[in-house]
Amino acid sequence: MTHHLRELCRGIEPPSQRDSGAKRAEVALPGSAVALLPDGHSRIQSALNPAGVEAAGIENLFWWMVAGTTVVWLGVMALTWHSVRTHPESFNRRREAFIIVGCGAILPTVVLSILLVFGLSALPGLVAPAPSGSLKVVVSGEMWWWRVRYEPAEGQPIILANEIHLPVGEPVQFLLESDNVIHSFWIPSLAGKMDLIPGRTTRLAVTPTKTGLFRGVCAEYCGTSHALMKFDVVVEEKEEFNRWLAHQATPAAPPDNPLAQRGEKQFLANGCGACHTVRGTNAAGVVGPDLTHLGSRLSIAAASWPNDSAHLRRWIADSDKIKPGAYMPKFDMLRSDDVNAMAVYLKGLK
Amino acid sequence: MSEHREAHEAGKRDAQPLAEAPPKEVQRAQEERLLKIWETPGGWRYWSSVNNSDIGVWYTATAFVFFLFAGVLALLMRIQLAVPDNDFLSAEVYNQAFTVHGSVMMFLFAIPIFEAIAVLLLPQMLGARDLPFPRLSAFGFWCYLLGGIFLCGAIFFDAAPRGGWFMYPPLTSKYQTDIGADIWLLGFSFIEVAAIAAAVEMIVGTLKCRPPGMRINLIPLYAWYVLVAASMMLFAFPPLITGSMLLEIERAFGWPFFDPAGGGDPLLWQHLFWLFGHPEVYVVFLPSVALIAMIVPTFSRTPIVGYGWVVLSAVGTGFLSFGLWVHHMFTTGLPGISLGLFSAASQAVAIPTGVQIFCFIATLAAGRVVRSVPMLFALGSLMIFVLGGLTGVMVALVPFDFQAHDSFFIVGHLHYVMIGGVIFPMLAGLYYFYPLFDGKKLSDRLGKIAFWLTFIGFNITFMPMHLAGLRGMPRRVFTYPADAGLNTLNLISTVGAFILAAGIAVVVWDVIRLKQKQPYSEMNPWGAGTLEWLQEMPGKPWGMRSIPEIDSCYPLWDQPNLQRDVDEGRFYLPDAEEGLRETLVTSVIDAVPQQCARLPGSSFIPMIAAFSLGGFFILGTYHWWWPAVSSLLLAVAVFCYWLWTGTARTPEKDEKYVGLGLTLPIYVSGPASISWWSVFITMLADLTAFISLVFGYFFFWTIHDDFPPQPSPGPGVFWPTLGGGMLLAAWALTVFARRWNRSGNSAAFYTGLLTSIVLAAAGSAALVAGPWLTGLDPKSHVYPATVWVLVLWTVCHVAVGIIMQLYCLARKLAGQMTARRDVEIVNVTLYWHFTALTAGITVAVIAGFPLVD
Amino acid sequence: MSQTAEQHQSLWLLTASPSIWAAHFVLCYASAAIWCEKFAGLGGSLTAVRLAIVVYSVVALTGIGIVGWIGCGRHRFGDAELPHNADTPEDRHRFLGFATLLLSALSGVAVLFVSLVALFFGECY
Repeated sequence: MTHHLRELCRGIEPPSQRDSGAKRAEVALPGSAVALLPDGHSRIQSALNPAGVEAAGIENLFWWMVAGTTVVWLGVMALTWHSVRTHPESFNRRREAFIIVGCGAILPTVVLSILLVFGLSALPGLVAPAPSGSLKVVVSGEMWWWRVRYEPAEGQPIILANEIHLPVGEPVQFLLESDNVIHSFWIPSLAGKMDLIPGRTTRLAVTPTKTGLFRGVCAEYCGTSHALMKFDVVVEEKEEFNRWLAHQATPAAPPDNPLAQRGEKQFLANGCGACHTVRGTNAAGVVGPDLTHLGSRLSIAAASWPNDSAHLRRWIADSDKIKPGAYMPKFDMLRSDDVNAMAVYLKGLK
Repeated sequence: MSEHREAHEAGKRDAQPLAEAPPKEVQRAQEERLLKIWETPGGWRYWSSVNNSDIGVWYTATAFVFFLFAGVLALLMRIQLAVPDNDFLSAEVYNQAFTVHGSVMMFLFAIPIFEAIAVLLLPQMLGARDLPFPRLSAFGFWCYLLGGIFLCGAIFFDAAPRGGWFMYPPLTSKYQTDIGADIWLLGFSFIEVAAIAAAVEMIVGTLKCRPPGMRINLIPLYAWYVLVAASMMLFAFPPLITGSMLLEIERAFGWPFFDPAGGGDPLLWQHLFWLFGHPEVYVVFLPSVALIAMIVPTFSRTPIVGYGWVVLSAVGTGFLSFGLWVHHMFTTGLPGISLGLFSAASQAVAIPTGVQIFCFIATLAAGRVVRSVPMLFALGSLMIFVLGGLTGVMVALVPFDFQAHDSFFIVGHLHYVMIGGVIFPMLAGLYYFYPLFDGKKLSDRLGKIAFWLTFIGFNITFMPMHLAGLRGMPRRVFTYPADAGLNTLNLISTVGAFILAAGIAVVVWDVIRLKQKQPYSEMNPWGAGTLEWLQEMPGKPWGMRSIPEIDSCYPLWDQPNLQRDVDEGRFYLPDAEEGLRETLVTSVIDAVPQQCARLPGSSFIPMIAAFSLGGFFILGTYHWWWPAVSSLLLAVAVFCYWLWTGTARTPEKDEKYVGLGLTLPIYVSGPASISWWSVFITMLADLTAFISLVFGYFFFWTIHDDFPPQPSPGPGVFWPTLGGGMLLAAWALTVFARRWNRSGNSAAFYTGLLTSIVLAAAGSAALVAGPWLTGLDPKSHVYPATVWVLVLWTVCHVAVGIIMQLYCLARKLAGQMTARRDVEIVNVTLYWHFTALTAGITVAVIAGFPLVD
Repeated sequence: MSQTAEQHQSLWLLTASPSIWAAHFVLCYASAAIWCEKFAGLGGSLTAVRLAIVVYSVVALTGIGIVGWIGCGRHRFGDAELPHNADTPEDRHRFLGFATLLLSALSGVAVLFVSLVALFFGECY
């Protein structure tokens, strides 16, 4: 029964898809196309489809508690039903003691004691840091996107945005910071959440166990576009991850076709570099997300929209529509073919 | 039951009602006099009424209107979330909507409705003519109405707060610089002050205004719950008032309490907020479950089983609920051991919460259950609340909370607790108690329809939210993506919300429909056993025709002829010979009559006082400082006028015969007086707010390596010690002045009190001189800001203390205060005890602690 | 009968055990928070705090035990049984004793729950 219940809550999906990491293509198309798909494709941000040691442990605990809660609730309701129906003559001191002292005081105390021991014993493992030498990723919450900084054991830190890749089966230590408002870093499929608090550095250790694409969200209300502050998480094999990270560390390749070259000129001429960095160009702003390899990302605008030129164009020309309150001004004064060229340039930053 | 009565009658005889009723014409004359003095004023003067039966109805109706307003906001939010990527509401409007929904439901509905119901019912249940401070209840109501309209109105000008009902800085300090957050901070502080005033009244009412013989083991369970909830308010609200004050100071003047750039910490706000926020859940839950505790015995036709256990449950919950606040902060990165402590306390609180439910179940088993609409809502409440409690136990477990926290799972959980634990009991109470204030019953048929609509609609709305949360839907999102498996769940929730709303609409219709043709209900229509059901249908403004001697927890069941004896005036205070409102004051534990207290009548003063004080807060919101200060000064003047004309009035005689061979004093002072208790209780709340400030100081000390930061100079030792010394001397002279007044030494009294005033002023100046002369700049860092705020807190208290001393001098000069009638100076001395303590702690912290650290 | 005369202390005694719980709780919390923040630092050893929690708990449980014992004595005053709901000073005295006893039991359990953390946490994380 529990198994069926689990499946039901996870969403109706064929088991064959559950462990595959090959869903990137379809999930990389958030927005209109996916709106037509049934609810079943729900694994990307569900705590009930764990793909990490921490989330799996918590999910297990959850199902135990669901079972316990169901039993207790049914028990209380049955007792109530019986009490309403029963004749007063059958009520006596012993029954009073059974209901109040037995069911009301002693039983809950015992059950809660067991649960507490269970919960407390699981806690130190969840708050302990990842073993030293683990991959270290610093995530800063911005309004409303994520700045991601990989700190490899050797070499320069690599600054990225809104997309996190992790090697499967290895613990990773997240260090979480914010210099604006409070955010909360939550990848439901991998682990519980942790707040990002100005003036403090918080920690979260995660060990992914399955490859695939997952989504992280901001879980602490952080202002206007809190709902649109998301990020993509790709868990992949170690070699693949290393390849990806090495590539992300490189500067952007110069554009190789005239349209993209025009886009780069426009990008630099319109002051985009005041806020954004494209390594290898003059653009070195740090206010907004790093765009060096924007074209390689699965989505734009903090995992809110698919990364295609139509959405890139809309984002440049009408950022406030796509993300209410966004700090990026809208460049609707630009000619549409200039915007198009910039979109092509950005999409080409693989 | 009956053998207990015999046993007690063999032991000791209480006063018995008059064996024969007074002659009919005497009764009629008494009733006329009572009616005349208790009559509700007509015309526009109706709004000057201070009678609890009027205030209670206004209060309840207002709270219900706010409830409907916040409910409509919830429906708008549900429409927005019905489908993914919806644009029915903009992000800005949605954020205002959920902020206002949460804030209004908590501050303008849940807490006020508790006070409203208590104002309405408590005097009736306790056989009192009115609450001990009727004008204070009126004042509280007008504050609430003004503050509530101010807050809710803002959303129509797109100026509503949008920082969430929890208002976390820095979002609400540096990133929302418009007026919304100020409206929240000042508006709710204003309402909270009024709520504390109401809490004081509830406590004094329960402890001191019971009918003779209603010992503490016989008081209705509702009164126990109200006592606990009101006491909790004294300790739960002040931290939020302190926090709001600090946040508003940061917003208005840039003192960096919550800004890490200036050494502050946003987590301090979370501590202060949840130190209020968690107990507050129980503050609204306990008085609601109290209604169930009254309804279940009535319809089971048997006394509650396990009275002592229910008391354990109420008091135990009251205490333990203060050890839970960090469970709202499990994901803020506090050390694991701290999380463990709060997880343990969160589990422990489930024990007393559960016990009372099993007492209700045992009561159902002990009696023969009568079907009725109130009982239907009570059982529905049980089903929902138990589930909410169980999910509460789940989230109290830290590992699971790491996933569930700030997700829709919590939205589901909290609505199961609040709707199951507050709204359903409230609806049960509405159907149960409605005849008491309209004289007519609500419709059984509509009640059943409303129940099934609300019950089914509720579960359809909130059950799927648990699942949505675990599928990764965070709270407070104005939209969600289509690919996350949330579409169906949200659509179901939206449909459910409208079914729930339809149920509430049926209730509203049932209440407002014209009932002219419907006959008045018979007296005690449900066959209940508690005193409030002595009321005639429709009720009379005097509350209780004569105040009975009580021998049982369910006097209507156990005391033969009680109804007749009360109505024929065979008990205490059957008359109002002097044409004044009166009620009995009794002792705390055994309810031995101690005083015949005179109560004030109708007046517009409470309304004017509320509006002028409200002016200060509202004008302050717009930073119009001069009008705001003028409004505050006006409020002070109105309060002085109110006190001068309305309190501690010299009675025309010392004692009064109240019937049944009992003569009671009219004027008392000291701990026997209700005013002494109210000052004491108010000052406990005030001290709690101050302790919250001190907590702030030590919180900053904990998180900083050097606090005070080097080389920043502290306020030094000399000036604070000098100031503290002078303030303690001022306090000592006040204590002596009280003695000199009592011993008739007027010259010493005047000299002492005047010297005390001079010392108090000089001491304040010396206290300010410390940080002033050392050039502590409160904008520069959180250390000087904290020192300044401690000093200013103390100085403000001394300033109020000086006004009080001047008032005493004036009363003495005017001959209103004498050696025997000295309630003013006694209460002012009590105030000064607390002020001296505040000054002492301030000096010890700002001057002493840096020396030992 | 003086033992059952109206005394405010019998009402205050009702709140004694939960107040001890509260003091115990605040001490445990403050000790852990200050130790980790000011002295041990991230990852520091909690041994001192664990010992302190054990000591606090023994003291608190002793206090609660004494209060509960007094309550129990009052509850058993004379030879009456539950419920103590007669209109007599004796039954009122028994009732307050009974409520004190129950609150002590609850406070004792709550103290034990809170002290359980000493078993599970070794470092400041």
